[in-house]
Amino acid sequence: MCIDEAMLSSLLDGELKEPYRSQTEEHLAHCPACRARLERLKALRSALKADSPSDEELEKGKEDCLALLERKFFSADGKKPGFFRRRIEMGLGGMVTAAAGLVVVFIGGFVLFGSSSEQTSEIIPSFTVQADSQNVHFVSTQERGLDAYSLEEILAYLDSRGYDVEISMRGLQPLE
Amino acid sequence: MEIKSSDKDSFRLVYDSCYKTLVRICYHVVYDLDTAQELVQEAFERFYLKNMSFPSEDEARYWLIRVAKNLALNHLRRFHREQAMVEKVKLSVATGGASSDAQKALDDSETVRQVRKAVMALPDNLRMVVILKEYGDLDYKAIGKILGITEGNVKVRVHRARKKLEEALGGDEAYVY
Repeated sequence: MCIDEAMLSSLLDGELKEPYRSQTEEHLAHCPACRARLERLKALRSALKADSPSDEELEKGKEDCLALLERKFFSADGKKPGFFRRRIEMGLGGMVTAAAGLVVVFIGGFVLFGSSSEQTSEIIPSFTVQADSQNVHFVSTQERGLDAYSLEEILAYLDSRGYDVEISMRGLQPLE
Repeated sequence: MEIKSSDKDSFRLVYDSCYKTLVRICYHVVYDLDTAQELVQEAFERFYLKNMSFPSEDEARYWLIRVAKNLALNHLRRFHREQAMVEKVKLSVATGGASSDAQKALDDSETVRQVRKAVMALPDNLRMVVILKEYGDLDYKAIGKILGITEGNVKVRVHRARKKLEEALGGDEAYVY
C-alpha cells in the first residue's frame, strides 16, 4: 500500500514523526510512484520559492530600514524619545484616518441629531427668529418724533428755515 | 532569553533574525516589494513603541509575524477596494514583477505568473499557511502559534493547499518548470 499524500507532505516539511518517518523512507526506497509524488511536491516547493524578492534586495531594505529605525528610536545619546514625541508620531495613513474620523463624527452629528429648527431653537432659542419687519424695532435715543416738540417750537423752527406758515382754527374767521 | 522590545540590543537581535522573513511574508500577501518593506517597518515601529517583554526570541518573532501579516492583509483589503487583484497580477508580471530581477527568462516569468495566480486563488485560510510555511520557513508549531490553530490543523492545511496548488498548476505532470 502506498503512502498517504498528507504523510509525504509532512515528510517534505521534515515534520513526520517516528516510526512513520522510517517506514515512509523505507517505502520510498522501492516505490517509484511514491518517489515521483515526493519529487512533484519538491518541484512545487521550488516553484513557489522561485517567486521571491532577491536576497540583495532584502539586504538593502534591511539596512535602510534599520538605519531609519535607529535614528528614530535609538538616537546617538541613547535616550528614548519623550512621551509626547512618541505619541504624536503618526503616519500619513493614520492622519488621513483621523481626519476622516473627524469628518464622519461631524456629519454623523447632523445625521443623528438632525438640524431642524425646533431642535436648534431648543439649543439656541433666538436662532430661528426671522429678521423681518415685524421683529425689527427701531430703538434710538438720538432721534425724536414730532410729538416731542410743542407747536411753538415747530413754528419757530419752520420760520427759521424761511417758511411762512399760516395757522387757522376750524370755525373761526380771522379778524379783519 | 527575555526580549524587551524597546531595548536596543534585544531590538537589534530580533530585527536581524526576522526582517527578511517578515518582508517575504508581506510580499506574498501584497505582491509589491516597496509596500511589503513599508509594512514591515511599521510592524517594527509598533514592536518598539509597545514596549513589551517576551519570554523568548521566538515569542517576539511570532508577535511580529502576526502583526506584519495583519498589516499586510489590511493593506490588501484596502487595495482590493480600489483595483481588481487580477489586474494587478497582470501588470506586475508584465513589468517583470516587483522583484527587480529582470534577467529572469521568459519561461521563468511564466511559471512565476502561474504560481502566483495559483497561490492567490487559494482560500484565505490555506493561503496564509502556505505563505508562512514556504516563505516564512516556519515549522507547523510556529505557524499554529501565529495563526492560533493547532499543529494538526496546520499540517492538514499545508497538505490541502499543496493539493490545490498542484491541481491549479496543471495536474500531475504539466508543470512549466
